[in-house]
Amino acid sequence: MSALTAGVKRFNKENWKAYFLLFPSLLIFAFFMFWPFIYTIYLSFFDWNMISPTKEFVGFQNYIDILTDPKSYKIFGNTFIYIAILLVLNCVVPYVFAFVIDMVLKRFKGFYKGALFMPAFISLVVGSILFTWILNPVSGPVAIILGWFGLEMPIWSKMDGWVIFVLSLITSWKVFGYNFIVLYASINGISRELIEAARLDQVPLWRIFFQIVLPMSSATGIYVFIITIVQGLQYVFTPIKVITQGGPNYASSNAIYHAYHEAFVLYRTGHSAALSILTMVIFLVLLLIEIKFVERGIYYEN
Amino acid sequence: MKIKRFVSIPWHLIFIATIFILIFPIIFAVGSSFKSLQDAYNNVLNIIPIQPTLENYQTFFDSLPAIQITVNTFIIAAVVTIFKVITSFLAAYAFVYFQFRGKTVLYFVLISTIFIPFTVTMIPNYLIISKIGLTDSIWGVILPQLADALGIFLMRQSMKTIPMSLIEVARLDNLSHVQIMRDIVLPLIKPAVTSTGIWFFISSWNEYVWPVLILKTTDNFTLPLALQMYISSEGGTNFTVAMAVSVITMIIPLALYLAFQRYIVGTFTSSGIK
Repeated sequence: MSALTAGVKRFNKENWKAYFLLFPSLLIFAFFMFWPFIYTIYLSFFDWNMISPTKEFVGFQNYIDILTDPKSYKIFGNTFIYIAILLVLNCVVPYVFAFVIDMVLKRFKGFYKGALFMPAFISLVVGSILFTWILNPVSGPVAIILGWFGLEMPIWSKMDGWVIFVLSLITSWKVFGYNFIVLYASINGISRELIEAARLDQVPLWRIFFQIVLPMSSATGIYVFIITIVQGLQYVFTPIKVITQGGPNYASSNAIYHAYHEAFVLYRTGHSAALSILTMVIFLVLLLIEIKFVERGIYYEN
Repeated sequence: MKIKRFVSIPWHLIFIATIFILIFPIIFAVGSSFKSLQDAYNNVLNIIPIQPTLENYQTFFDSLPAIQITVNTFIIAAVVTIFKVITSFLAAYAFVYFQFRGKTVLYFVLISTIFIPFTVTMIPNYLIISKIGLTDSIWGVILPQLADALGIFLMRQSMKTIPMSLIEVARLDNLSHVQIMRDIVLPLIKPAVTSTGIWFFISSWNEYVWPVLILKTTDNFTLPLALQMYISSEGGTNFTVAMAVSVITMIIPLALYLAFQRYIVGTFTSSGIK
């Protein structure tokens, strides 16, 4: 035992080596994450077009501009609609699917897991292109099949509401599998004894889900909830950029796309930076909610 | 008492329908990519081409430097993957097997960056890459991506499953850290390293947002950027060529997934990304 402690002590004496091992990662993070982060905060207080040699200090004007522009409210409104749709398609649905595949079904589990995860490996540009054709309102296969029933497909890329819905669908196609697999892993880790006992007592399926599975996988559930919002909104960027460029008249733009649009189309780095910081603050609030939930003693697997 | 069986037929129908929706686009793309434009427009619902043709692939190779574009995509994905795996492995090793000042805070800060939207770092990163003259170069795409917070997280998770006593005994036997990494830790977490590596490779292969900011000329394009040239919301006339480029873009990721499927699904469901 004393030999072990001695070993551990020597172990500790060499701890400077840790910094050496961390150095490559920290170097990249310093240049391409931490410094840019601070510089974006700095830029959000200046008026600049990325080319001009001088930046003009404007204080909080960029933030005021964004918060007083009616267009911003449309864009933030869109952002929340995207969040709502993505939460249903990429958080609620995979949760139920993972539960059913793990606990209800006996057969084809492996096939379902493998097939549901598959689109997660395909480029979202590919997904955007494929769905643009498949959902083409005139000559696409879906329009043709709807035509048999006398139904007409909306010209979704030109219509408020519809455009957000379809772009969310395309994004979900990509994001669904990853969220599903993560949730499946968590549900799969729940002790079977409790479930079997509940089933012996003839507890209905929906109660098993809400009263046992949901609380016992809640840490992962919250993780998926957060990444659905944070990464989902960033994934939506690709179909927006590829298919609509935020149109028609900002109807499909969200906070992430608009920050890009302000910076690299309109060259207003101040507005872009301020919008990015505001978006991040919203995300941070969500993150804090997560931490608070976890601290409250939510059930943590393992 | 007999346990009542859950009704499973409706669920099977729901899953099969969902999988059909998820997989149909892939089948549709493969089928259409071998059709002539005429055939594609006249027989939308016939997935199998009447007269299979390679002309769409030919058009892609004739109109764009397709081989160069594929090679670019591969180089970016390979270099990014190799570096991310190495930097993440080393950092994770430090977090698991060393005690040092600020460890918890540093880990928390690194992991928090997963939640920072890319728009927050996009302008300064673009400015840095311009300043060092790497715009319109694949190295400008690669450079900011050489480390990865999710990679550190995943590798740390799997290293923590190795019993600490094993490492302590190795230290008592005077094994250096390099030897411990190479002969103990790496072999034990190899499945996780492989799956993480495949995930990095595929993510980078499919990456769009950052390359589209950096790469300007078609000679430097990656496959997703080339593909984007064939789209317009009205449809355009390059439909079948777009399908051919889509197939080329997704074939490598899909092949990797199908080849390592059990491995990947296993790692994602056992080590758990939590």
